[in-house]
Amino acid sequence: MTDSTCPADHRPARRQAWRSILIAGLAVLAAACGGGGGGGSQTPPTPPPPPVRLGAPEVARFLTQASFGPTDAGIEALRDSSFESWITQQIAAPPPTQSHQATVEAALAAAQAANPSASINANNFYYSWWRQTVTEDAQLRQRMAFAYSQIFVVSLVDTAISGSSNGIRGAASYYDMLTRNAFSNYRTLLEEVTLHPVMGVYLTFLANQREDAAGTRTPDENYAREVMQLMSIGLYELNLDGTTRLNAQGQPILAYSQQDISQLAKVFTGISWYHPTPTNTTFLGGNRNPDSFVRQMIFYPQYHSFAQKSFLGVTIPARTAATVTQQTMADDLRVALDALANHPNVAPFMATRLIQQFVTSNPSPAYVERVARVFNNNGQGVRGDMGAVIRAVLTDTEARSAPSGDSFGKLREPVIRLTNWARAFGATSASGNWLIGSTSSNQVLGQTPLASPSVFNFWRPGFTPAGTTLLGARGLRAPEFQIVDEVSVAGYINTLQTAVATGIGVATAGVPDVRSAYGAEVAVADNAEALVDRMDRLVFYGALPAATRTRIVEAVNSIAIPSGATVTQAQIDAARLNRVRTAIQLSLASPDFLIQR
Amino acid sequence: MGFDKASRRHFLKTAGALSMFGAATPLAMQLATLGSASAQAASDYRALVCLFMFGGNDSHNMLLATDSDSWGRYWSARNTGSDPIALMPVGTAPVTPGQVAPLTGRTVNNDSPERFGGVLPVNSVIPNAIPVGTNAATRTFALHPVLAPLVPIWQAGRLGALANVGPLIVPTSKAQYQARSVPLPASLMSHNDQQSIWQASAAEGARRGWGGLIADTMLSQNGANSVFTGVSVAGNQVFLAGQNAVQYQMTTNAQPAVRINPATGTTLNTSSLAVTRMREIIRDNAHVSLFGQDHAAFVRRSMDVADTLNQAFSSTLATSVAAPPANVNPVTGATENNALATQLQTVARMIALNSVLGLRRQVFFVSIGGWDTHDFQNQNQTVLLGRVAHAMAYFDSVLANLGGADMRNRVTTFTMSDFSRTFTTNGDGTDHAWGAHHFVMGGAVRGQNVWGQYPTLGVDQGTFRNPDADRNITIPTTSVDQFGATLGRWFGVADAQLDQIFPNLRNFASRDLGFML
Repeated sequence: MTDSTCPADHRPARRQAWRSILIAGLAVLAAACGGGGGGGSQTPPTPPPPPVRLGAPEVARFLTQASFGPTDAGIEALRDSSFESWITQQIAAPPPTQSHQATVEAALAAAQAANPSASINANNFYYSWWRQTVTEDAQLRQRMAFAYSQIFVVSLVDTAISGSSNGIRGAASYYDMLTRNAFSNYRTLLEEVTLHPVMGVYLTFLANQREDAAGTRTPDENYAREVMQLMSIGLYELNLDGTTRLNAQGQPILAYSQQDISQLAKVFTGISWYHPTPTNTTFLGGNRNPDSFVRQMIFYPQYHSFAQKSFLGVTIPARTAATVTQQTMADDLRVALDALANHPNVAPFMATRLIQQFVTSNPSPAYVERVARVFNNNGQGVRGDMGAVIRAVLTDTEARSAPSGDSFGKLREPVIRLTNWARAFGATSASGNWLIGSTSSNQVLGQTPLASPSVFNFWRPGFTPAGTTLLGARGLRAPEFQIVDEVSVAGYINTLQTAVATGIGVATAGVPDVRSAYGAEVAVADNAEALVDRMDRLVFYGALPAATRTRIVEAVNSIAIPSGATVTQAQIDAARLNRVRTAIQLSLASPDFLIQR
Repeated sequence: MGFDKASRRHFLKTAGALSMFGAATPLAMQLATLGSASAQAASDYRALVCLFMFGGNDSHNMLLATDSDSWGRYWSARNTGSDPIALMPVGTAPVTPGQVAPLTGRTVNNDSPERFGGVLPVNSVIPNAIPVGTNAATRTFALHPVLAPLVPIWQAGRLGALANVGPLIVPTSKAQYQARSVPLPASLMSHNDQQSIWQASAAEGARRGWGGLIADTMLSQNGANSVFTGVSVAGNQVFLAGQNAVQYQMTTNAQPAVRINPATGTTLNTSSLAVTRMREIIRDNAHVSLFGQDHAAFVRRSMDVADTLNQAFSSTLATSVAAPPANVNPVTGATENNALATQLQTVARMIALNSVLGLRRQVFFVSIGGWDTHDFQNQNQTVLLGRVAHAMAYFDSVLANLGGADMRNRVTTFTMSDFSRTFTTNGDGTDHAWGAHHFVMGGAVRGQNVWGQYPTLGVDQGTFRNPDADRNITIPTTSVDQFGATLGRWFGVADAQLDQIFPNLRNFASRDLGFML
C-alpha cells in the first residue's frame, strides 16, 4: 500500500470508499483508485487540492492513535492533507538528528567536564525519551519505536544495563535502533535486535558458551525461548486472523517444543562483546572496548556450538571445531532468523501487537487478517514491510470508522496520558532537557519507558481483567488494565493534578522543569464553554459526552473572575489560571479521556 | 477447627449492623459497636500469605538432598562451568574472598558458594521415602547457607518444605510426559503462563485464582469490610480474583490507602464545587465502554474504603508492629532495604487489625522478583534467598506478639514461583524447568519435615536413568492443586468447595498432604 496519494482523488466519498476498499483487501487498492492494478507500483497524477477539509474531530482521533497526542498545529495541518499523505510523510521523515545516544553522551561529557569520575544513570535516558516523544515532529516514528520497545523488550530495571554509564549509552543506542527501524523490514529489525549487546545482556545470551562434551552443561536458553514466545511466533499456531488454530481434538497446537528451544539456543552461543581484536578475554567481558555497549555483538567461533541444530523444521548441519568460523556463524544465524521471520505466525502475531498498541485491545479477526496480509505482502511482493503494516493498522476501516459497541478501544497508557497533556497544552522544559525521571511507582504513573518489570512488558497482550470486572466477565483483553488497581488509579489522578497545576520533573527553586503556561487556554478562560471546547478538541477528539461536559463547565464557572475597582490584574490572572487548571484536571481524570476509542 | 455456629450467627448480625454506617462512620464509633464481635474475631482468625518468587526460583539450591548418592550427582552437574553454581557440602568451612578454597581449588569471589560454607543440615522428623533411582539408606536434607535465619524456625517445628510440587492435571510419569500420553498443563516453562497456572490453574488470560476462590467462601464472615478479604501488597495478581472476591491493593505506606486528593479535599483550585464535579466524573460508571465502567469501579472502590483503612492503620495495634531489622546483603555486606520484609510488615499490621476491622479470614499476596537466574546465579540467587530468609524470619517473630496475641498459629505463609530451574548449569546459571520445592511456615504447619517426595537427582547418563527427570527438568510428583487444597482445608474451606476451586484435585489420590495440623 505505497500508493499514498490515491484516496485524495475520492475525497468527498472518502469514508465509504475506504471501507469497501479495505474490506475487499488492500491489493485491490490500486485498481480501485484507477491506477490500473499491477501491484500499485505506478505513480498516479498529482491530485487536485482537496475540496473539503478533514474535520478536526476525525483528525484529532487519528492523531490520538498515531502520535503521542494531537496539537493545535498538528490538527490544522492534517486537516489540509489526508491520513495517507500524513503517513507517507511520517515514514519519509528521518530519525531525529539528535539521537538518544548523542543526548546521553552529551550529558556524560558535561558531567565529566566538572568531575572526571562522574557518571550518568537511567534518568538521563528518560529525559531524552520525554524530549523526543513530546517535541519531535516525526511522531509516527516515535510511536512505532515505543511500540517496539514493548515487544522487543529490554529494561533499565536490569542493573547490568543501567548500572554503568556505558550501559546507559547502550540502552539509548538500543532505543535509537528501534527508532531507526520503525518502518524498515521486520527481518532487519529482528537481526538488529538479536545482535544488540543490550539484548545480549538482558536476555543473557551474551558470552553464552556451547554445551560441553559430557552433555551436562547446556547453552543458555533464555533468548531462544523469549524471541519465539514474545517477539515473533508466540506459543500456539495461529490462523491468519490471529485466532488460535485447533487440532482434531479441539486443542491449541504448540508452535514449538522445548526441543526447538534447546536446539535454537545452540545458535546463540559464541556471541559476545565487540572488540577490534577479539580474544577469549574479551568474550568473557574482560578488556572491554569503550564502544562495546553500542556496537553489534561479534562472533567468537571458539565458543560456538558445532553440533547439528534442528528447530522449526530447519536443520543446520553439524560442523567441527575446526570449521566453525565467523562466516559460518553468520550464515547459521541467518538461517535461524529466516526461520523465525518466515514463520506463518509472525504476520498475525505482529498485526495483533500493533493494533493493540495503537487502536484497540480486542480487534476483530477480520481486522487482524487484513493487517496480517499486508505483513505477508506489501503489495509489491515484500514480506515484513513495517511501514506498510502500520499504514494498514491506522487506515483500516475498523480504526477509522466511528467507534461503536462497548468493547472497542483501549485504556491509554499512563505515560502517553502525560505526553498527551504536554503536547496538547504546549508544555515546555525550562532546562530544555525534559527532566522527567522514573515514573514507575504505582503512586505516580506505574510505568516508565524502557523500564518494564520484566521481558513480559508492563502488561501482557492477552491480559484479561478479573472475572469480577465487566471486561473479565466477557473474557475481553485489556492489556493496560494489568496495572490498574485501587492504588494506581489514585496515583495517576494525584500525579496529574500536580503536573497540571505546577508541572512535573526535577524542580529548580521549587518549580518543576516541565510545565505549561496554558496561554491559549487562559485566553478563552472567561468563557467556560469556549474553554471546554478546547478540551473537547485537544483531548477528547470531539467526543466529549454531554454529561461530562456539563460537569466541567459547572466546575469552571464555580471559579468566578473577580471584578471591581479593588481587583488586581494578578487576581484576575489567578482566577483564569484556576479555571484552566480545573478544566484540564477534570478532563484528564475522566474515563472519557482515559479510554481511547 | 470448625466454626461455632452460634457465635458466627451472632457475629454476622453485629457485622451486618455495622455495615449500615458505611465508610464515613468515625472509626471510634465503629469500634464501640464492634465490642463483642472483636473479641470473637480475635479468637477465630486465620490468614494465608502467598509469597511469590517471580522469575522461577532454582529450588535445587534452596532445599538439597545430602545423601552421598544425591550429592554426588548434584556436584557433578553443578560444579562446572565458567562460574560453578554447586553449593558446598555440609560442614565445609567458609572461605574468605580472595583466598583459594581447599575443596575446589578456586579463588573465592564475593558471591562464590565457597564463601558461604557448607549447606545447613535440617532434619525431617517423618523420614522422606527413598525414591527409585536413589541409592541411599536414609534421605538427609540441607538448606542454602544464607537461609540460616530459617533454621531455628525449622527446628522449632514452624517451618517445613513441600518437595517437587508443580502444575499437573493428572499424576504424570516420565514416560507419560515424554510420550505426551496424558494431558499436561499448558505452556510449561513459559514464565507468564506458569505464574498464572500456579495462581489460577490456567494460562495467561485466567480470570480467577485459587486465592480468590478460597476468599469467596469466606466473604460473609468478614462483614462490612469483606473488601479486605483478599489483599495484595504486590500489584495485580490473578491469584486473588474470585467469583465475587476482589483483590484489594495496598501500598506499604504507614497509611496504606492512597486518597484521591482532588476528589476528596475541600477545594480544588479554590472551588468546592470543582471537587464535587471531579468526584462525579471519575466515579461515573455510565461510560459507553466497558473499559470506562471498569475504571470507574476501581476508582469507587479506591475512594470508598481508603479512609476506613487509613484510620484503622493509625491505631497503635498497627503502628506498634516493629519494623524489620537491618538486612545485610550477603554478597556486598551492605545494609540494604528489603522490600519483601516491608510488604510483610504491612501484612502484619493488617493482621493486627483483624478485630478492629471485623475480619476473620484473609488471603494475602506478597512478592519478590529477580529469580530468572539464567546468568550470575551465584550473585543473584544468594542475595534473593537472603532477603527471603530475612523477611520470613522477621514475619515469624513479629507474628509472635501482635498487640499481645501470638498469631503464629493463625497465619500460614507459603512460597510459590513460576517453576524451578534446570538441574544442570548453563555455565553460570540455569534455565526454565518444572517441579520445585517450596516452604510452608506457621504455627499450624507440621514443620521440621520435608513433605511430598524429594526426587531422584541427576541426568540420564550411561546406565543411569532418572525416573523423576526428563533430561534436566524435574517432573513434579505433587500437584499445585494438592498443595492449595491442603492449605484451603486448614483455612476452613469445605471438601466439596475444594473440588470446585481445584479442578484437578479429584485426579490425585491424596487430597490432603498432611503438612497442616
